[in-house]
Amino acid sequence: MKKLQGIAVSPGVAIGEALVLDMEGFRIPRRFVARDTVEYELERLEQAIESACAEIARNRDAVTGELGDKYGAIFEAHLQILQGSQLRDELEELIRERHYSPEYAVSRVMRRYAEVFQKVQNRNVGDLADIEKRLLRQLLGRRREELAELTSPVLVLAHNLTPSETANLDRKFVRGFVTEVGGPGSHTAIVAAALEIPAVVGTGPFMTEVSGGDLVIIDGDKGWVILHPDEETIARYRHEAEQLRSMAARLGELRDLPAVTADGVRIELMGNIEFPYEVDHCVERGADGIGLYRTEFLYLGTDREPDEEDHFQAYSRVVRTMAGKPVTIRTFDLGADKVPNLPSPEDERNPALGQRSIRLSLRNVPMFRKQLRAVLRASALGNVRVMFPLVSTLLELRQAKMILADVMEDLEERQIPFRRDVPVGIMVEVPAVVMMIEHFVEEVDFLSIGTNDLIQYTLAVDRSNKDMVWLYNASDPAVLKLIDKTVQAAKRRSLPVNLCGQMSGNPLYTMLLLGLGLRQLSVPPSAIPEIKRLCRSVTMRDCESVARHALTLENARDVTSYLRRELNKQRSEFTA
Amino acid sequence: MDQAKTTRTVVVTNRAGLHLRAALQIFQLVREFSVEIELVVDRQRAKATDMLQIVALGASQGTEVTLEAAGPEADAALDALASLFAAGFHEEDS
Repeated sequence: MKKLQGIAVSPGVAIGEALVLDMEGFRIPRRFVARDTVEYELERLEQAIESACAEIARNRDAVTGELGDKYGAIFEAHLQILQGSQLRDELEELIRERHYSPEYAVSRVMRRYAEVFQKVQNRNVGDLADIEKRLLRQLLGRRREELAELTSPVLVLAHNLTPSETANLDRKFVRGFVTEVGGPGSHTAIVAAALEIPAVVGTGPFMTEVSGGDLVIIDGDKGWVILHPDEETIARYRHEAEQLRSMAARLGELRDLPAVTADGVRIELMGNIEFPYEVDHCVERGADGIGLYRTEFLYLGTDREPDEEDHFQAYSRVVRTMAGKPVTIRTFDLGADKVPNLPSPEDERNPALGQRSIRLSLRNVPMFRKQLRAVLRASALGNVRVMFPLVSTLLELRQAKMILADVMEDLEERQIPFRRDVPVGIMVEVPAVVMMIEHFVEEVDFLSIGTNDLIQYTLAVDRSNKDMVWLYNASDPAVLKLIDKTVQAAKRRSLPVNLCGQMSGNPLYTMLLLGLGLRQLSVPPSAIPEIKRLCRSVTMRDCESVARHALTLENARDVTSYLRRELNKQRSEFTA
Repeated sequence: MDQAKTTRTVVVTNRAGLHLRAALQIFQLVREFSVEIELVVDRQRAKATDMLQIVALGASQGTEVTLEAAGPEADAALDALASLFAAGFHEEDS
């Protein structure tokens, strides 16, 4: 048994067979074979060599016929290497004596020769790589294609996963991810959270210690990956997984019940999504809408800038599925480095404070207009709201609204349908906006408090800096006061105000947020049932008293421990 | 090889050394004779019929290679092989 510690990026427990991908995205099969299958494996190798030889002979004849003997010679050489006794003897010995799988034996032997070739002659070793690939293709055959068409559940283990690799995996059967590298913002983390399967990243090297088909446990809560687990560990995790399942089933019963407090106050509980298919997770849990639809995935993992149609296809799927419930589309919220074809900024020593998000959209109007056109077209299909991220000043907001109005005019001229009264809002995530909130509420239709960035900018702490992460805390009284001020200003104007960000999905803060006056919360789809249960078990009177007291406390630690006490009180009453 | 061996020493003259294409020519030539031949560089041996072994000798330009032949056509085969080495495996750039 071996336990690896990584970074937990998506919670839950998964037990299952490993699917291991090597650096080039090739599937690494089982490295060793059982003693009693050795003869079968040797037969498989023999067949692979024969097929590879036949393939090479065909190539040789074709090339010789077309270009002459001299060019066909290299294929003749490949053929002779494969038929030579040296290679076969070595492969057979590894399979027979060491019980290597034929695939593993082939790559070991060929790579060893490649090293020798390179060392002694410093020559191109392409010939050997070519032969190796040919043999592996024969051996893996259909099994390699099955990467896209898995037939049983697997846990995917890889050095790193690129967007195209995750896109090619059959989502139905992927039960967890582990990558050697990567952090909380990595692509694997985002995809795993969206798929709601456990994932651990940044474990450091493990590829030499695991083969395809090994039993592996992923603990996405603690950030552990357990290779070759013992019986006791397996039993313990099976039990835990079973408990999680039955709890999820109990919470599932809440699906058709509204999020309403015990004393009758209706809360709109909405989902945060990144990928269009996540809208199904929201519907399954009875979400009241999409409070935050991040559109960044359209720009990631592609080498061209998405066109209007790419945007429109994604948005319309979400808007149609939500069938009249609100869908809040947030415009582009990335740095320039993430967009193909945009020049990389020269002076970006501090990206969190640099050219990103709405600032970038306002400097690249054609890109921005493309997205806005798609959002507006989607508005004809349902209840769309458009939201600008990282606004810092009123001028930025006005500029963005002017471009939106301009795009509207353009659509009107072309008689393309859209909703002229599409609600326009901003993310409240820069403290400057809160200081000026009385002005902002005059010019928007709704507000959405983005706590992840608001905390970062309020406390001047980089949330991805592991040495400073202790300072990054949603319980900080300064953060609470900014939320309070924003909600109060919105209330005076009867503006809807939503809160998205990790804070809203954490039950610890639910009573506090309701007590501060929030009536909309937008949370990861997986958190909807738990937050809903909590909303249904509290009274607004209790929530308001919690908020009043929390606002009097002077540091984050006191706030957290107070909220924890109140939450435990609630839970014990609920289960009593 | 049990029979009496005929040996001859040749030198690799082509610039690229004993790479895959050269090995192929050796293999194809030896196949035409009734003979078994081994190439020896320092103490490393390679069968003339196994190209992987030949290339793994790592013989670069100027290396001395001892050819050990056994069989009815040993002499003829060695003559032919020696000319092949001398001709630098017919490489234009040798």
